[in-house]
Amino acid sequence: MKPTNSNDKGYWNPYLAGVALGLTLLASFLMLGAGLGASGGIARVGAFVEGLFSRDHLLHSEYFGQWGKDPLSYYLVFMFLGTFLGALVSAVLSSRLQFKLERGSAASPALRSVLALLGGVIVGFASRLARGCTSGQALTGGAMLLSGSLLFLVCTFIGGYAAAYFVRSQWND
Amino acid sequence: MIETFFGLGTLNSPQGYFAALIIGFCFGFILERAGFGSSRRLAGIFYLRDMAVLKVMFTALVTAMLGLSTSLSLGWIRPEQLYFMPTVYGAHLIGGLLFGIGFVLSGWCPGTGAVGLASGRLDALIFLLGAVAGSVFFNELFAAVKPLYNWGQAGVSFAYEVLGISRMAFGFLLTALAVGCFWGSEYVEATRNRGGTYFRSPFLKAFSLGLLIFSAGLLLLPSSQQFPAGSGLPETGRPSYPKHSDQQLLQAIEGAADHIEPIELADRILRREPQLLVVDVRTPGEFAQFHIRGSINATLSELVEVLQPYRNAGTIVLYSNGMTHPAQARDALYRMGYQNVYILTDGLKGFIETCLKPVSLRSEPVPQEFAARIAAWRNYFVTRATTAPAPERMVESVKVPGQLPGLVDTAWLQSNLGETGLKIIDVRSQPEYNTAHIPGSLFLATDSLRGVIDGIPSRILPEKMLAWHMEQMGITPSDLVVLIAGDAIRDATLAGVALERLGHSNYAVLDGGFGKWLVEKRPVDNALPINLSKSHYPPPTGQRPDSFTVTAPQVLKLMQQPGTVILDVRPKDYFTGEKSDEARAGHIPGAVNRPYTEDVLTTDGYTRLRPLTELATEYAALIPSKDTTIVVHCRTGHQASQTFFLLRHLLGYRNVSYYDAGWTEWAARLELPVSNGS
Repeated sequence: MKPTNSNDKGYWNPYLAGVALGLTLLASFLMLGAGLGASGGIARVGAFVEGLFSRDHLLHSEYFGQWGKDPLSYYLVFMFLGTFLGALVSAVLSSRLQFKLERGSAASPALRSVLALLGGVIVGFASRLARGCTSGQALTGGAMLLSGSLLFLVCTFIGGYAAAYFVRSQWND
Repeated sequence: MIETFFGLGTLNSPQGYFAALIIGFCFGFILERAGFGSSRRLAGIFYLRDMAVLKVMFTALVTAMLGLSTSLSLGWIRPEQLYFMPTVYGAHLIGGLLFGIGFVLSGWCPGTGAVGLASGRLDALIFLLGAVAGSVFFNELFAAVKPLYNWGQAGVSFAYEVLGISRMAFGFLLTALAVGCFWGSEYVEATRNRGGTYFRSPFLKAFSLGLLIFSAGLLLLPSSQQFPAGSGLPETGRPSYPKHSDQQLLQAIEGAADHIEPIELADRILRREPQLLVVDVRTPGEFAQFHIRGSINATLSELVEVLQPYRNAGTIVLYSNGMTHPAQARDALYRMGYQNVYILTDGLKGFIETCLKPVSLRSEPVPQEFAARIAAWRNYFVTRATTAPAPERMVESVKVPGQLPGLVDTAWLQSNLGETGLKIIDVRSQPEYNTAHIPGSLFLATDSLRGVIDGIPSRILPEKMLAWHMEQMGITPSDLVVLIAGDAIRDATLAGVALERLGHSNYAVLDGGFGKWLVEKRPVDNALPINLSKSHYPPPTGQRPDSFTVTAPQVLKLMQQPGTVILDVRPKDYFTGEKSDEARAGHIPGAVNRPYTEDVLTTDGYTRLRPLTELATEYAALIPSKDTTIVVHCRTGHQASQTFFLLRHLLGYRNVSYYDAGWTEWAARLELPVSNGS
């Protein structure tokens, strides 16, 4: 294999990483009976936080209300926690744990922060609308060959490429 | 054959959580190794700078797809063991476009955001906070978003079915597309960025060839696995709700999943189970001809409104002639958060066939014991339903206050206004009553039911004085009394306790009180019932003062019996002793604090008791069994009357005592022990 280029700072070969990820997803199918998911855990945290402010309101909201009074009792919450822990172990072992706001060197921290926040809000909302995110729909549903999940995958790329031009300045060096 | 947590229904159990944690750990570790802890690298794909996301994700998708297809076609796992997400074309289309925009703005998606956070990236933290907020916005805007959320429902839909090709052929095409994308990515990186490590590398050639050969090999496998029947129906969208195989269905019935068998329903109706609501969703015409006795009629369009008060309270059973309409309604209700809706297996036809068909008409021999049950069912469901006049059936069909004391709902009360033997007592404040009240209702100040007894203020009056009050209001012992409170349910239950002291168990509390009546725009007036005739109400002759009120010495004695639960329903700070307006602060040693306010809920402009299923669970955690000796008290007996009513009449605790003198007396009698703190 050729030596790694400047993009690959000790990262795994992407194809082999992909195979490993695919086998993890397969293990998830065969053990859990359900695939990977990340946004579900985030939304449960959202429901939990909302419940801290008003439990009555939470229990009576049509969407979050269906998760009951203890929204954190859900397997995807634990999967999300596991994702964080696994990544933490890997980052520490490979000395990639670094506290910083990632941005282009010529871009202002404020611009990057605002875009990260706005993007987060949109992603949080869109994941609920689509009943999943890149993990739960695109990857998991895609591997199951589900129509909606593959449509979601294609639309994610369309939306991303359409908007990329307008926010490119955050990566300017 | 593999059984999954989903298939076993244990995804949300400690074992399921642990498995999910481990899977998540691997997921996070690999994402980090792939370099997805960097937003810049992730966003690179949208600027054709760094195609790692596409390579990793597409490889993962194809790997898992090939593995899953193999497992399914070799029969290692059956489709019922897997949670297939439903397709909703509109929601997936719009959701995908929005998601892509959010992805490129932030440089993160939910899974990689967790990896970024673990890598110390501040922008990942900001992103995740935004994503939590975005989820909350979705919930808050759900009423408006809902049409889009459900736009284009296609149930569980497979792309290869839509295209009309086999699963394996589609898998091969997808693999070929992936390989094409890999080469394209490497080419782009090589030409634009002087990168492209793997372009034309022996590794990529071998890898591509391996994938293509593997997926082509799958074409040789049988692809005709059986997918769950009815996959075209909208799914419930919750992994913990599996579709049923026959065997699972039997287990599910035992575990009360979404079907109820005719025999079980017949027996439960016959037992007059209080929390059972049977709904006939056929037309009113069909309903009038014949229906299951005790059921109410609501067409599909009325269903949501009719069932609102019963959301997750008790058991709702839907039936029609067959099963299609109730199943659709159940799915729709499930998505609205109803988890207590069941459908009658084989519908009314099945019910008649199984339970009501005379033994003489049955082709197969019937064991004697079962024949007796058929006779009992026929006696209840056939004889009565066909001979009783229609109007009476309608009255009876609204949730009859069969279990008294209990709750009645506003619809029942309205349809029974003016009935002889029904007395409506309004226990709100006098100005409130004078402004507007339920037509024909009488005002009663609950303070007039209490007085100084044995030097202790605010105890329930002796039965003779209570009987005198009843006479003034024209109430007789046989009347059905319905108590109407405002926001303070305890006003109604206090009057209820007074009635019980009179041995008058024929009473009910209006669920949701006057507030709900008003919100539902039911009739009110402001006329006073002039010329009210007095009645004769003889005081009871039984135990004095009654069988459930206890005094301080009795409480002291009960305390010493093992297993007694003393429930102090006052607010927490009074229980701990931080606040006090009595002689001493604190609580009875060993008492459990369960503030009465935790049992009520104010929503949509009125206050009511919370769903009984929830309350039952919470109280089960405090009280070991339905036969446990329980003493409820507060400061003066007012708040405790609500808990008393709830435990004794709605949750079925058989041994509940009411210490009405409460903390007022206990604190003042210095010989009685007191605890402080929590």
